[in-house]
Amino acid sequence: MAKRQIKASSLMQVLLRSNTRLLLSGVIAFQISGMLLLAMKTSPPDWQALLFAAAMPCASAGIVRLFSALWKVDRALLILMLFLCSVSLVTLEDIARSAVTPWQQATHMLGGFLAMALGILTVRKLRRYEKWFLPLSAAAVAGVALPLVFGQWHYGAKNWIHLFGGVSVQPAEFGKCALILLLACGLANRPRMRQCVVPLAVAAALCGLLLAERDLGALLLYFLVTCAAYFAATGNLPVTLMGLGAGVAGGVLAVRMFPYVQKRIEVWQNPWSDPLDKGWQIIQALIAIGSGGLFGMGLGLGYPRNIPLYNSDFIFAAICEEFGLVFAVGLILIYVIIILRGISVAMNARTSFHMLIAVGVVVLIGVQAFIIIGGNVKMIPLTGVTLPFVSTGGSSIISMMGAFGMLLGVSSVNAYDEAEDLKRLEWREANA
Amino acid sequence: MRRIRGAIRAISVLLLAAFAGLILYVGYSVYTSSSRWLTSGYNARLTHAKRTVRMGNITDRNGLLLATTDQDGMRMYSADPALRRAVSQTVGDTMSMSGTGVETFHAQTLLGISGSLIDRTWQYLTGKEYTGEDIRLTIDAELTSYISGLFPEGKNGAVAVINYQTGEILSMVSKPDYDPQALVNRREGADENGSGYLNRCLQGQYAPGSVFKVITLAAALENLPNVQNEHFYCEAEQAFGDGTVSCYGHTKHGKLSLLQAFSESCNVSFAEIACALGSDLLAKTAEDAGFNDNFRFQDLILYESSMEKGDLPLYDLAWTGVGQGTTLVTPLHMAMIAGAVGAGGIMREPKLILQVTGEGGIPRIRTGGGIYRRAFSDSTARTLSDYMRYAVERGTGTKARISGYTVCGKTGSAEISNDKSVSTNAWFVGFVEDERHPYAIAAVVEQGGTGGSVAAPLAAKALKMAIERNG
Ligand SMILES: [Zn+2]
Repeated sequence: MAKRQIKASSLMQVLLRSNTRLLLSGVIAFQISGMLLLAMKTSPPDWQALLFAAAMPCASAGIVRLFSALWKVDRALLILMLFLCSVSLVTLEDIARSAVTPWQQATHMLGGFLAMALGILTVRKLRRYEKWFLPLSAAAVAGVALPLVFGQWHYGAKNWIHLFGGVSVQPAEFGKCALILLLACGLANRPRMRQCVVPLAVAAALCGLLLAERDLGALLLYFLVTCAAYFAATGNLPVTLMGLGAGVAGGVLAVRMFPYVQKRIEVWQNPWSDPLDKGWQIIQALIAIGSGGLFGMGLGLGYPRNIPLYNSDFIFAAICEEFGLVFAVGLILIYVIIILRGISVAMNARTSFHMLIAVGVVVLIGVQAFIIIGGNVKMIPLTGVTLPFVSTGGSSIISMMGAFGMLLGVSSVNAYDEAEDLKRLEWREANA
Repeated sequence: MRRIRGAIRAISVLLLAAFAGLILYVGYSVYTSSSRWLTSGYNARLTHAKRTVRMGNITDRNGLLLATTDQDGMRMYSADPALRRAVSQTVGDTMSMSGTGVETFHAQTLLGISGSLIDRTWQYLTGKEYTGEDIRLTIDAELTSYISGLFPEGKNGAVAVINYQTGEILSMVSKPDYDPQALVNRREGADENGSGYLNRCLQGQYAPGSVFKVITLAAALENLPNVQNEHFYCEAEQAFGDGTVSCYGHTKHGKLSLLQAFSESCNVSFAEIACALGSDLLAKTAEDAGFNDNFRFQDLILYESSMEKGDLPLYDLAWTGVGQGTTLVTPLHMAMIAGAVGAGGIMREPKLILQVTGEGGIPRIRTGGGIYRRAFSDSTARTLSDYMRYAVERGTGTKARISGYTVCGKTGSAEISNDKSVSTNAWFVGFVEDERHPYAIAAVVEQGGTGGSVAAPLAAKALKMAIERNG
């Protein structure tokens, strides 16, 4: 019985492997055709786009091969993430005002692959995780607090610190990885109420710091990831609902207390009442989404630069204009597939620690994609977070890929566990 | 472990539901609103289309040509400079400086962009020059030019004239104005400080002053039984909450009936009525008449008239009742309110487009429009007419009288500053009580003085000309 199940799952894997090969070819086809089209837009052809057209498929194939050979990570997840990165580079090569932007983004992605490897290794090697909880918490709190001390206000928030040599980082981005890890460390092994207090207090402290920095997007993400991790770890629905309720109450209070939050809500409700000033961003985004129609204006044919922040907060609107609604919905579906796949990785994990890591990463990516896309299309008030793997922003790309690495790490642990089972079963059969 | 898996399953269901909602919302909102987004004046993409398409003509209701495209693709406006300036914000311009103008808001029609993918592809493949559709407006350009000439020299303001039985807009005057022809070849604006591009009828949000008493009166009639038999006593000023409300020019009106309080425009009496009503009932009547609504009309963009809701302090409530609170109104909306009184409480959706004619000269059938909402009950509207008729016959609005016709109306002198040396905004809203000449008007002259001496005579001349020109 057990054997048949394992045989079936290995058959699934064979099927999946051929499917992932097809998937990878699709991604590579997208990369080559997109970049070639952009290269041909000018005569003589644009060298940077040609370089991308050649380098991206090599890098993608290489990374898939390397990561699955080294750690047996889930290929489908990895390839889907690579597709999102490709959409990012193609879009930026198309719309960014300066040719340096896609170049920088590619460099950040290379850094991101290192972070990803680090994430995989962390999950694979970390033992006795209870011991890591305190150092991780201390590091996260200290890191997220840094901008309060050294930072400067930037777009109405104080969430950046400037390092030497003109490099700026957003500690709250890296804090996301730390938060997922520390929650998994602190909440693994079905803790009792009392044991949850310290991890939750750390998460609350982080949220408080983000509120002080007015980084509402990150605050919302930290809060929801914490709720999800707590619920997954304890299955305690009443307390989770109370936590969510407290969050809603806090949100209502924030709207009352802070005029800038209230302003955002008003703009969201009726941007047309002040189309030239406060409503400008969202109206330009809606116009861009409307102009794309079903199939888009075509690469290089739209006017996405009319949207403010078109390569970070509003990149989804720019994608709608260039690629059209069908592609944009496809992009949303990619996130859905990543969520589904990530959930199945979490379900297959053998320890609660690994489950919590996987579910934390899935919730982070899902919620972040939801709130920024929802903000772009005026479904919910705009909160400035990045579209995972697509928007520009070094800290965001690197930390998101680091977090994704942790998810891949769980899939890798699962794969080794399954292989072990198979071996044990075969050994037992041979000796029977 | 099983427990964790169950929780994870619940979380994934939530996430998936959120994404399903997201996809549905994206599809729904693009399907329903994308044409509104596209044609908004803030869309630079239309400027691009204008280079490749021959834009259609714009004429007034009598067929007078207001804008056309000549052989060289140059946009030409009416040859009469005064007329072309009078209709400037209504017609719009090639630079989309007047964002609510027909040239911008109906650019999709004028440029013939149907938005369908097949059409777009066909146009791309054949590469032929595209001709847009022609638009015939409901406005009477010569009437508009006449009303524009009535404005006191150097004064700004707005006049909107509508047919309250059809909703058709006969005239929108907004001062200052600008010359659209001067914009055609110049990138710089023809109007230096930019205020001429604003269509004050649609976009000007003014303090209503005493014309708001029409709403307060309607709320009293609908909610305070026997209010018509009550008497008020005015000592020129009276304390309400933390402050006092005073009458215009510190006039001591003495003992007044409701009818007298309305026709003499007594602030103290109406402050008392507002306080007796409370902010909720007052706001409800105002919202029935279209306040705080986004006005999603298909022919034009009309900015909302806004009124504060919720528990107001007594002092603020008192001033709101006489139109001097934080309430803001757009002139076209005020004309619609006056028109609704004339039409037995029915408020029509404003119409600016009479006809759209495509290639081959066949007029396109336009759907939609019609009744926007019921603003007042039938009996309230009848009583309001009586009061407004009395205000013109005997009250502050006597200069709005037209011989041979019955005019009903209300004047207003809205204070815009605490500094008494700044002149008030002069208001008149009203309508002609006549089946064959169902015209309603709202006129505001900024810092013009009192409504009765400045806005009322202007409105009378405008309505008289509208009657004469349209049989
Ligand atoms: Zn009085």
